[in-house]
Amino acid sequence: METTTVRVRNGAFETEVLKGGSGQPLLYLHGEMGADERGFLDELAGRFEVTAPRHPGYGASTGDDHLIELHDMLYYYLDFLDEVGLRDIPVVAHGLGGMFALELAAMQPERFRKLAVIAPFGLWDAVNPVPDFFVFSPDDLKQANFHNPDSSAAETMAMPQNEGDTQAILERVKSQRVAAKYLWPIPNRGLAKRIHRVRMPTLLLWGASDGIVPVSYADDFAGRLPDASKEVIPEAGHLAHLEQQDRVLAALDRFLS
Amino acid sequence: MKMEMFHLMPYRELPEDFNERYHSVWVDIPSELFDAERAHSFYNHTLDELEYAAQMGYDGVCVNEHHSNAYGFMPSPNIMAGALARRTRDTAIIVLGNSIALYNPPIRVAEEFAMLDCISGGRLVAGFPVGSSADTNFAYGMNPATLRDRYYEAEDLITKAWTNPDVFSYDGKYTQLRYVNIWPRPVQKPHPPVWVPGGGSIETWGWCIEKEYLYAYLSYSGFKRGKVVMDGFWKQNDEMGADRNPYKAGFLQLVAVADSEQEAEDKYGPHGEYFYNKMLHVYPGFADAPGYRTLKTVEAGLLQQTTQFGQRPKGLSWKDLLEQGNIVAGTPKQVTEQLEQVIKDLRIGHLMVLNQFGSIPHELTMENIHKTAQEVLPNLRHIWDGEYEDKWWPKPMAHPQRPAPVPFADAVAAK
Repeated sequence: METTTVRVRNGAFETEVLKGGSGQPLLYLHGEMGADERGFLDELAGRFEVTAPRHPGYGASTGDDHLIELHDMLYYYLDFLDEVGLRDIPVVAHGLGGMFALELAAMQPERFRKLAVIAPFGLWDAVNPVPDFFVFSPDDLKQANFHNPDSSAAETMAMPQNEGDTQAILERVKSQRVAAKYLWPIPNRGLAKRIHRVRMPTLLLWGASDGIVPVSYADDFAGRLPDASKEVIPEAGHLAHLEQQDRVLAALDRFLS
Repeated sequence: MKMEMFHLMPYRELPEDFNERYHSVWVDIPSELFDAERAHSFYNHTLDELEYAAQMGYDGVCVNEHHSNAYGFMPSPNIMAGALARRTRDTAIIVLGNSIALYNPPIRVAEEFAMLDCISGGRLVAGFPVGSSADTNFAYGMNPATLRDRYYEAEDLITKAWTNPDVFSYDGKYTQLRYVNIWPRPVQKPHPPVWVPGGGSIETWGWCIEKEYLYAYLSYSGFKRGKVVMDGFWKQNDEMGADRNPYKAGFLQLVAVADSEQEAEDKYGPHGEYFYNKMLHVYPGFADAPGYRTLKTVEAGLLQQTTQFGQRPKGLSWKDLLEQGNIVAGTPKQVTEQLEQVIKDLRIGHLMVLNQFGSIPHELTMENIHKTAQEVLPNLRHIWDGEYEDKWWPKPMAHPQRPAPVPFADAVAAK
């Protein structure tokens, strides 16, 4: 895959985009951690022509200053999709990106053919709350994101452990600041009021050991989506697509083929 | 030189094994530890102590705002300031301050500060803190990514509400008001002096210097670390070509005065250790919500110097606290010499003194206030005399225009 830059809204946003593969176009929206997902995206690119933008404020993508709240982000994404000419496409998205994808699909249901979301945010269940993962220690965060925090997949999540690791600390502060904009203090921006408009076939994928968005949310989403199926991935945490890449890819193959 | 007594109003009776049994002194401290009848005493003792400080010679008294916090439980310092405004007569009432980004609409702060300025006859100092992350992001749920932007907008709106004589509309990013028209208006014109308590965010420096607001570095880290921050402030000040008037800067210091070093240790040692080891037992995750500190501050590497919570050394002894400069303690002579050095090294015109810290009980607090105000402050007051004007001090109405409260006794009590 190669990295390109897309200018959106006359350059107000300069978006870093990973692009690659051939075949049917597919949009991938990454999650709140901004984890290194190149291995997974390479696999997706073997099946689709993948466009994977970094959200404004992540990596080299600029323009976060223009965004105050969720709807600013959604209208940015509509502009981005117009700019790259994506419509009538399937979407794969994770976590925070999954929440964006569901919101965009509620805004413009005709734009998306199918939606596969891995452990999205967006609903709130007071009995089973999403924990305040922003205060997690690096070790807790690894535990929550991975069923097996010692697995090789877990190593892709670089966690600055000491004060000297300035660049990594900055990158993390930067991306978590952006994530907090859409998830703080409670990751509920009213999606429940709109989710009935997400009419396209939707696949919910969830790591059985997700310590960020508990797997019980899969049923909450499934109950509200008009055309949803769900698949719980065993031995996977919140970053299920990295920890159980083959299982997630197999589920995506079945759903998107 | 101006000296003000600062009170955090801590809960003075946390259990011995607090650190082992509880997660954090702030944000999620359990209500089972709060005894409202003891709090009655703590609130009233605090007011007594501040009033006594005013009587003994402090130039001003300071109260501040915290939420869900056992080391400071004045969620509304304005209520304390209202009480102080009635019982004091000439002392500056320094509210440090109201976290202006938290109030919706922020003109609530403009109104309450104007009320306090009217009640006190123009003795109010209006503090505008951004507020700590634990207070604003955690206890009040404010989004860290937009907190500072809201803060700047709130400051703009409040100062316009104070100074614009007309009814006006305000179309902000966060606040929209068709009619801005506060009643009352402050006594002090154009408005009460504004002090900005900071925890070390570097963009606050330039902003204060430009706006001519006083910058007060409030930390419990003591003067040695305080010097790092204040050096940064003055460097920025010089780069901006501003004058070096020390009255534009303030600093908070814990102080204990006794007849000998040994007596200071005997009397205040356990309370200092209580403060640093127990009251600052804050879960590190609550120290800094993502986005609370700007990238510029994080990048400047100030994090280590300015993070008050989180990676604190454990089990500090009285000796450590004196050595590190967290607490200035000793005989009046020793304390005077050390504070004089602090004042000059940090180049501050306002020294805020914590005479009550941690578990210091009421009687001992009164003793500390008495000794500090009578035996230390008079020897420091001359510093900066004749060199600079304090443009950050309240300008009250003249006495004849200010009726004193009439003597009072509850009718109920007489029955």
